[in-house]
Amino acid sequence: MTKLRLLAVGAAGVALFLPVLLPHPFVLSIATQAVIWALLAASWDLLSGYTGQVSFGHAGFFALGAYTAAAASKHLGLSPWLGLALGAAVAAVVGLGTGFPALRLRGHYLALVTLALAELIRLTAQNWLAVTGGPFGIYDFGSFTGLPATGILRAQAVYLIVAAIVGAGVGAMLYVCRRTRAGRAFRAIREDEVLAESLGINTTVYKLLAFGLSSGLAGLAGTLYAYYIQLVSPTVATAATTSLVIGMAVFGGLGTIWGPALGALLLYAISEGLRFIGVVYNLVAVGLVIMVFVIFLPRGLAGLRFGRAKHVLRKDATVTGASG
Amino acid sequence: MQSLLEFLIQGIVLGGLYALFAVGITLIFGVLNVINVAHGEFFAVGGYVLFAAVVLLHLPPVVGAVAGGAGAFLLGLCVYPLLIAPLQRRLGRRPAGSLYLVLTLGLSTFMQSSLLAIGGGDYRQVPPLVRGILEIGFTGVSYQRVLVFAVAALLLAALFVFLRWHRQGLAVRAVAQNPEAAQAMGIDLGRIFSLTLALGVGLAGIGGALMAPLFNVYPAVGFPLTIKAFAITILGGMGNLVGALLASLIIGVAESLVVIVVPSQWQNGVAFVVMIAVLLFRPQGLLGRATAR
Repeated sequence: MTKLRLLAVGAAGVALFLPVLLPHPFVLSIATQAVIWALLAASWDLLSGYTGQVSFGHAGFFALGAYTAAAASKHLGLSPWLGLALGAAVAAVVGLGTGFPALRLRGHYLALVTLALAELIRLTAQNWLAVTGGPFGIYDFGSFTGLPATGILRAQAVYLIVAAIVGAGVGAMLYVCRRTRAGRAFRAIREDEVLAESLGINTTVYKLLAFGLSSGLAGLAGTLYAYYIQLVSPTVATAATTSLVIGMAVFGGLGTIWGPALGALLLYAISEGLRFIGVVYNLVAVGLVIMVFVIFLPRGLAGLRFGRAKHVLRKDATVTGASG
Repeated sequence: MQSLLEFLIQGIVLGGLYALFAVGITLIFGVLNVINVAHGEFFAVGGYVLFAAVVLLHLPPVVGAVAGGAGAFLLGLCVYPLLIAPLQRRLGRRPAGSLYLVLTLGLSTFMQSSLLAIGGGDYRQVPPLVRGILEIGFTGVSYQRVLVFAVAALLLAALFVFLRWHRQGLAVRAVAQNPEAAQAMGIDLGRIFSLTLALGVGLAGIGGALMAPLFNVYPAVGFPLTIKAFAITILGGMGNLVGALLASLIIGVAESLVVIVVPSQWQNGVAFVVMIAVLLFRPQGLLGRATAR
């Protein structure tokens, strides 16, 4: 694992510093968006991969953050720096609100309810013309203040700000999961909720915590997206966004937080880098990646072993038919 | 009063389409224990096949509709052996969690964007398969809608007959009840799984072909229907075919009646609100039995 961790840190380092060393607008633009996706994928993984409460509605939380920030800046003239916090807070509150009914639901049902929630958020975005601008969305609402006005320098500054915020978010999630009581509770809930409860873990509190944290950070990713792209339209809330995020997380490795973040960086960079072969093929590839990884490599990139430990029996390879 | 009756008829016709869709999802869930997120994409495939047959090749609409259903059926035959069986083998007896959901979500993205790559993103218009309007008293329904409802009713009746009396239908029900016992009786599980999946998505394919003149055809045409069908299956009780049928009609009628109260662009929200309410207050659905879940 140490070799792998080094590799991951190395890849993340390259991904973070490349845009600074190679300040081409195209590179900077892809890098900034990739980093935003990394935060969204990691936040999905915290709830779905790490705590085992599968959400099909993260596009909704993402859109909620984006719309809140954009609308507050456009209609109320709120500073983007406060918009970040406001968007994240609104998404977290709605996430907690979803968490309450979701306490009674498991597995399939939770996924379906969150899918419906995202669809309701999309419908609202499309129909609440006064606030959301309807199908055209919100645009032209001002970005981060206090930066160089234009050009590469500004793009670099924006990239560094976004990367720093995302890094802090992913770092916080990793810290919570790895080092705190809550992280252990999350894992216990994923493995066996009834057992966790019988051991005295207050599963209600920790599930709500996972919901709030995950949706809040997804909302934060949405606000970053809004202030960077400068256009928020109902399409961000479609199931295609959720599908992309789940694809990234599966690609990187479920339940590791850093895996999905890395998976998002790589998958986004690859699919945008390959844009010249045609936009639609990106999503064909995402669909293929999800299917192939779920069937053959469920641990994703984070689970690759480079043939070193083949003779060691894997912990979960005890049951018949477990070959992959 | 007149418009009320009109809305009611529209709603029942819509309910017929939903039933074609939701019964397929319910059948697949009941037998394979897999929620097929890619169901709507087979609906889209049916629409595209009909478009190709009727508009591009100038074949009669009947051929197009049958080909639409057959195309979806044949694609559906591949899903079990290529996707679900390998995952089952790898998992062995370990719990699947939501892996099948994620798997079919991947299939949905793959099919939708493949359709986009092949057919382009344009809305393809298809002329009505039958023209004219049926006059009932003081209101009228287009023959196209009557056709959709009649075919849906016929197909569903045929499905129930198949499941009730046909040898393979009995095998499907046996597998739904208890796969191990069914296997011990000499039923080939893989075959039944493939057949069930293909039947379910085949119904969606015919639905897509019949609805093409009303909905137009584009790659994402089916996905919203899939989400709506989830709401319907939850309202009816997961895995309960009669419940799915009943819930389809309820949602269809509710959607057309709700425009009297709220603007029509909110119509599509009805199913989701109902779904969340059902899960909160009666998670087993209308006809489902309460189980520890």
